[in-house]
Amino acid sequence: MVRFKNRYVLCEVVSEDPRCRQCIEDRAVGLAVREAIARAHGDYGLACCSVSFTVKYLNAYTGTVLLRCRKDFYRLLCSALPFVRQLESRNQRYPCFFNTLHVGGTIRTCQKFLIQYNRRQLLTLLQNCTNEEERRSIRQSVLSCSLTEEQSQSGDEEDDDDTETD
Amino acid sequence: MRMSVPLRRLRQAPRHLLVCEKSHARHARSRHAAHVRDHAYNCRVSFLIPECGTLPEVLKSTIADVGEYYLLRNLSLHELVTHEFIDTFVKKGSCHALTYNTKIDQDNTAALLPTGKLILSVDKDTYEELGLQGRPSQYSGKKVMRYIITIDLMDPSFHPDSKKHKRVLWALKEKKPLEFDFLLAWCNTGAEGSTLMSYFPKNQIQTLKPKITFSTLRDLQCPVLQSNELQGKPEESCSTEELFEWLGAVLNQVSLDNKSFSFLSTYCCPQPNTIVEQAFLCTITGFIIPEAIIQLLEKLCCYFDEPKLAHWLTLTVHGFADSPVSWRESEHGFHKGGENLYNFVVFRNLDYWLQMAVGTNDDCPP
Amino acid sequence: MARADPPPPPPAAFERRVLRSAAEHHYLRVRLELPDGGARPSAAQFKQLVVTALRELHGEVGAALPVDVLTYEEKTLSAILRVTSSGLVKLWSALTLLGFYQNRRCAFRVLQTSPFLLALSGNSRELVLD
Repeated sequence: MVRFKNRYVLCEVVSEDPRCRQCIEDRAVGLAVREAIARAHGDYGLACCSVSFTVKYLNAYTGTVLLRCRKDFYRLLCSALPFVRQLESRNQRYPCFFNTLHVGGTIRTCQKFLIQYNRRQLLTLLQNCTNEEERRSIRQSVLSCSLTEEQSQSGDEEDDDDTETD
Repeated sequence: MRMSVPLRRLRQAPRHLLVCEKSHARHARSRHAAHVRDHAYNCRVSFLIPECGTLPEVLKSTIADVGEYYLLRNLSLHELVTHEFIDTFVKKGSCHALTYNTKIDQDNTAALLPTGKLILSVDKDTYEELGLQGRPSQYSGKKVMRYIITIDLMDPSFHPDSKKHKRVLWALKEKKPLEFDFLLAWCNTGAEGSTLMSYFPKNQIQTLKPKITFSTLRDLQCPVLQSNELQGKPEESCSTEELFEWLGAVLNQVSLDNKSFSFLSTYCCPQPNTIVEQAFLCTITGFIIPEAIIQLLEKLCCYFDEPKLAHWLTLTVHGFADSPVSWRESEHGFHKGGENLYNFVVFRNLDYWLQMAVGTNDDCPP
Repeated sequence: MARADPPPPPPAAFERRVLRSAAEHHYLRVRLELPDGGARPSAAQFKQLVVTALRELHGEVGAALPVDVLTYEEKTLSAILRVTSSGLVKLWSALTLLGFYQNRRCAFRVLQTSPFLLALSGNSRELVLD
């Protein structure tokens, strides 16, 4: 048996409107991405990407989204992501865009990347702080973040580390 | 970055070859006549002479001399291997025969070369029923579905009493009788003999004349060419590929003066070009034997004996998409298109360019 | 051809160039089939139809493919299309899967394809003898 190879695309939803967070849910994100693929690559592209396409993980709070599709066609998916312009759910529509952070072969590598990325983000935030109050709260976050890492977190995919960074 | 296989296939075009040669027509070792002779089956010949209003008499008579050909309906293949036929036609001149209206990618096809070789391209079932020795087709893939059988009719060991001859005759007559419509052309070298018309029954054979059309093209944009620059020089002359595309555009009546912003088409004549007041285009369609084309090419070279305004002229020859051979005996097949064609550009100083083009299922031209 | 003639160059020496799968463009001869009666598309509408077919199957990326309608005959609805070689498969598939023109059923027949435009001017499969 040959394993079907997938690619996981890690991206973040960026929106100026804080209410957009409530739209970040499986269905809405999946629909928006599909729509973008259909527009950019047509029926053929959509069919290619739809094979094993799912929204694997999302975090409405941080705006992180993890998408999965077949390895053969992740380029179609990646090239369509910039064309997502809004998320829609419960008849509410908010403009936003997707920022691709990482393309990985397993969920594990994406998770590793995400942790590292968030840690780096916190440091930048720390540097940009203006008052003591902010600084304290971020320092606390940094500490809590490193604490989570110490707890052993087993990857939920095979130990295949073929990553691909764009 | 490497592209995945399915996406790469989406962008892949079928294989094809274009061979460009340049040489001099009066050069002792020039192979132009050999190239024409090696391309046995031709269905259309066209030539284009810029700055020419009416055709010179010499060329007119040459065109008229392009021989007639015959259409033989429902001919059993074994009739071509009988000794009577071989002795009266194959050995006394050059005999060209090609099955008509058979598609080489799905039907059985046969061709008789002027060298006396009978080539059958048959599917697997027919091959197994025939029981003649052959070889798998080059372009049949891993699971062989097509076989090529070559029978040399001129072989001394192929005499009437030989086992080989009997076997072939039996296979084609009794084992698996094959019947085709044939295009036939025969050109004998001087000696008198019976004609194809009297050899075959009247209701089976039909004489056909090549169709000839003339046209004069007005205000034609022609690329500027330099005979010693196959690849062209920017701002000075056009390359062979550009000429090849341009000629295709002219023969297909494509408009040559489009703008880069035009919605319909952005094709335009290659740069640099000149506008020619009139150009003469003649097209001959039929089953044309190489000897006639050599004649025509020779006469076209002689066109420049007298001073002419034209810097060059072209002669285009299209082969049959469904013939089992292209040049010599190199196998020919039909993939996305069975193109096998060549084009001469003859310059005023009798330098020439020869462009030979083949599609996917073809060997490199000689 | 009215240029002043340069002094005649020496006879060309033999040279041979082999171009392997180097054609920049591919050409398709197509015919549009429409039910009898009703409007026939003009050249611009025809091109628009081709672009629509590409957009349907291959999206905006496909619609951006450079396709040229080299010739179009309204009477027979036949045309010669030119497309960059890398877009041949996309164009061919899009034409094949197109099913409607102005809410009427239609079909594209691809009659001949070739990397050489010259090859389209002589199709032995269309050789009709009387």
